[in-house]
Amino acid sequence: MDEKREQLDWVAAAEVEGEKPPEVPPHGPVVWARENLFSSVGSGILTVAGLIVALGFFKGMLGYIFGADRKWDAVATNLRLYFTQAYPEDQYVRVWVAVGVAMALAGLSAAIWRANGRITGYKLGGGSFGLAGGLLTLLLLSPFSWRARLIYLLVALVFIGIGQYLRSVRPKLEVPALGVIVGTLAVLVGSLWVVPYGKHTFVDGQVQPPRPGTVAMTTKLPWTVMLLVMIVAYFVGKAVRDKVSPGLAKGLLSAGWMLLLPIDYFVILRDPALDYGQVFRVDVPIFLAFAVAGSAILWWLSSPHRGEIGRVVAGAMVIGAGVFWLAAAFGLSVRQIVRIDLVMLAVVALAAPTFAGEKAIRRKFIIGWVVILALVNYLAMMVNTPSTVDVPGSFPLGGFSLTLLVASATLMMSFPIGLILALGRTSKMPIFRLLSTTYIEVIRGVPLITILIFFKIILNLFLPDGMVLGNEMAAILGYSLFSAAYLAENVRGGLQSIRKGQYEAAAALGMSTPQTTSFIVLPQALRAVVPPLVSGVIATFKETSLLFIIGLFDFLRIGYVVVGGQTAFVGSQRENLLFVAFIYWIITFSISRSSVQLEKKLGLGER
Amino acid sequence: MVIKWISQVVVLILVVVGLAFFAAQAGSNLRAKNIDTSWRFLSVNPGIQLGEGIDVNPETGARALWVGMVNTIRVSVVGLILATILGTIIGVARLSKNWIVNKLSTTYIEIIRNVPLLVQILFWAAVISNWPELTHGAGPIDGWLIITNKGIGLPRIFPSIGFYQWMVVVIVGAYVGRRVYNKRETEREETGRETHALVSGLGVVLAFAAVGLLIHPVFGFLGPVFTAIGDFVGGIPVFVVQLLLSAAMVAAAALWIKRFLDNLRTPAGLAKLTDDDIFRIVFAGFAALMGIVLVFIVWPGLSAWLIHSSRDFFHFLGDKFEWLRTGRPLDAERPAITQTGRFPNFSSSGLVITKAFGALLFGVVLYTAAFIAEIVRAGILAVPKGQTEAAGALGLSRGLALRKVVLPQAMRVILPPMGNQYLNLVKNTSLAIAVGFADLVQVGQTLYNQTGRTLEVVAIWMGFYLAMSLLISVIVNFFNVRLRIVER
Repeated sequence: MDEKREQLDWVAAAEVEGEKPPEVPPHGPVVWARENLFSSVGSGILTVAGLIVALGFFKGMLGYIFGADRKWDAVATNLRLYFTQAYPEDQYVRVWVAVGVAMALAGLSAAIWRANGRITGYKLGGGSFGLAGGLLTLLLLSPFSWRARLIYLLVALVFIGIGQYLRSVRPKLEVPALGVIVGTLAVLVGSLWVVPYGKHTFVDGQVQPPRPGTVAMTTKLPWTVMLLVMIVAYFVGKAVRDKVSPGLAKGLLSAGWMLLLPIDYFVILRDPALDYGQVFRVDVPIFLAFAVAGSAILWWLSSPHRGEIGRVVAGAMVIGAGVFWLAAAFGLSVRQIVRIDLVMLAVVALAAPTFAGEKAIRRKFIIGWVVILALVNYLAMMVNTPSTVDVPGSFPLGGFSLTLLVASATLMMSFPIGLILALGRTSKMPIFRLLSTTYIEVIRGVPLITILIFFKIILNLFLPDGMVLGNEMAAILGYSLFSAAYLAENVRGGLQSIRKGQYEAAAALGMSTPQTTSFIVLPQALRAVVPPLVSGVIATFKETSLLFIIGLFDFLRIGYVVVGGQTAFVGSQRENLLFVAFIYWIITFSISRSSVQLEKKLGLGER
Repeated sequence: MVIKWISQVVVLILVVVGLAFFAAQAGSNLRAKNIDTSWRFLSVNPGIQLGEGIDVNPETGARALWVGMVNTIRVSVVGLILATILGTIIGVARLSKNWIVNKLSTTYIEIIRNVPLLVQILFWAAVISNWPELTHGAGPIDGWLIITNKGIGLPRIFPSIGFYQWMVVVIVGAYVGRRVYNKRETEREETGRETHALVSGLGVVLAFAAVGLLIHPVFGFLGPVFTAIGDFVGGIPVFVVQLLLSAAMVAAAALWIKRFLDNLRTPAGLAKLTDDDIFRIVFAGFAALMGIVLVFIVWPGLSAWLIHSSRDFFHFLGDKFEWLRTGRPLDAERPAITQTGRFPNFSSSGLVITKAFGALLFGVVLYTAAFIAEIVRAGILAVPKGQTEAAGALGLSRGLALRKVVLPQAMRVILPPMGNQYLNLVKNTSLAIAVGFADLVQVGQTLYNQTGRTLEVVAIWMGFYLAMSLLISVIVNFFNVRLRIVER
């Protein structure tokens, strides 16, 4: 940026001194076409052939999409089915609250992470030209009425005008990227108030008496609220970001994103019926006991003078917790949460030497323990309380929400597993390496579908008596264990890119192996493998479509089987598939594009 | 140090105990449900009908699974070839300086890569369903190219009666052609004269093939030879094969250990062995021991199976040869439509791409091609521009520079990820289950629905796909080693 400005200054200076500025090479549409389309005879033939292919493709595609006998009603009518399946209508506000929490987090994050990207007028103008080009293609190649074509032409002309203005008059104008995004969203939401999209006449395959309102009419208010929530959250974040330490704010927000899924699903969408007597008699005392006793133990363990005895105690705790866990299989009846808390305490105790040192650090460590304990206990309580939302079938979510749930749960679960596997595979300890390598290679060698079928049909055979895993949970487990193997390979690439000097420097500073790994190696390794990790996220998201094969009501099944099977919309399979493909495409495409931005921001490949 | 070993052993014990616990649990659950694990379902008639394949009414479960495997391999091989060709074309097009070709291929990649493969396969199935009805006289070119909602019919060329006898001549020709090629190559390198090595090599092979068309009946004498070899192999006692297998495993382990130690040898003598090295050596020995236990105790049937199948293989070859048997080596036939029952259908002649096969093939090929295109592009971009310029400065023509300078270097970058994509393609064919193509997974599912042997079927699936993965990695590695930069 600065370099460019300097260059401009230099050009200006040259002009002042009366010297000739460097000659501008010839440009213009004709020159461009000669260079890029007709540079040689072969290129000219290719251009003509390419044009024919492109025209044929777009004409066929648009002719298909806007053909008179297309059944897009099948999609428009079933939008609710597509996104939340049969979630009860009188409880629908829960869905909006769940979305709203995510929106608020998004707004806050934009403020805290200072999303201050800017778009120049020149680029905006290019975007405007692109839109106009798209509209022109539409009106030229689609089977529209002449009136519609005229309207499209006018809109296209407006965009061309805007583009021309931005490019030639204000090319250096800088607009915040956030503003452009929010503005686009506002236009979309605003259009809901003007145009009544969608129909509501069919619901669940039955012809229902027509109800007042369309999809646009019933969702315009919630979407407006969502947008406002996001904007308000952004300004709140902006107001507080200078008053709190950035580390704390970012940490809290990251934790918020991690918790978004369980909170949204278990607390908001499931609406557990809490029995408060039980809560105060059992759950709170268990939590308090573990918080107090655990803190004391951890404080003692993380003392810098503890040395080897600390490790021994922690190891003993791990073994004790494991034995206690296994004892349940032989008839020792203890609350599940006690066992979970014990294992957690043992694992955190193992990490204690890593945080040994000054009192402030130890205090943070203890606070971290209490917070994690509270969250796990709270979520466990919510998970174990039966839901009050009455849905047909065993699972409250279906359609796109199920796809999203499985994808995000898979990402969250596969990350730690994959990290451990990667560390195991690169470890110097042969048995760990052997175990991880075997696991990774076996999982990577078989197709996902066999693993999913295994988990859906057979897993329950392997579980202890009385323990049953729902199909959805089994699928999530299968996905996580599958993705973890691929993630481990990606992370391994990063781990192997760390130079030996880093380890030696850490050792010279007196760091232990866990400290080196968590503070020196992993941060660098993960940063180096952001692109493959994002590809992994995209792959996982696309793979959720396999839920269709094991018979769950995911986005694809709703479109292909449920909507395609409604008597009113027989033979609408291609339309439904195109819609499903379009939604998948939008999401994966935006993830891959934002990953390119992220790479630039992290400066990958520049150091 | 001690803690490290203790922790590893503890984790190993935990894993083993956990697996044993799950296995015991599964055993008791299965007993509670009156399900016994056995492989008997492989040898009884499952009473299922398959959509397509070498045998649509398999007599045993094993035969059904075999038909599924053949179908999987069939679609994989066709898919691999087509995806490689299409992907290379698109990858090169993405590097084109021609704006429209460049943008077209970019659009293709961005659309295809970002939509789940399953959605695409289902979409193609829906598209094929909307093609014209299958009737007599259907298709754009009746009797040659038939495109209907039941699939596509094409003419096909297939090996006929004299094929194997003819192949003997061709194989001999290939050997001689190779010798000619090598000789001419050496001559060219020594003298610098153009000797047209490739053309003459291929010419020799073609000449042999042409002559073979006339003289192949003579090679029928090989029939009794193969039968005799088959009889001999069938007579080998099982014990001998077991011994041979064990010896091979011990030899492999010994060789591995020797090479491992050789690598550690320094001018100053053998480097000090770390715990890790000792573990590796012990592990290699242990693996060989486990192999011997497998051969002799766990799975004695393996050796018998090896003997039987090699005997059957040679007998099969023997049947294909007959002294002075004449007949065309290759034959061709056109697709046709017959009336079976009430509805017209494709007859068995010609090459018929059924709806399920077509949907799967289109989906897998188009999807994989997008990824291959990106790999090809990255590979070509990875060759520094200076290489092309240097080749030009040496006076190489553009084609020669591409063939001898750019491609060999690009291949080094392309090959490893390409192997990954091939693997993905083979695994992705398992999505056939969504459109009802009778691949291994689909047949397996039908089979366990009939017999309730889910665990066994899943084990067979995993074994098959692991073997395929191994095969592909071995092949890719073979080429990879040959292409590797030879360093000092």
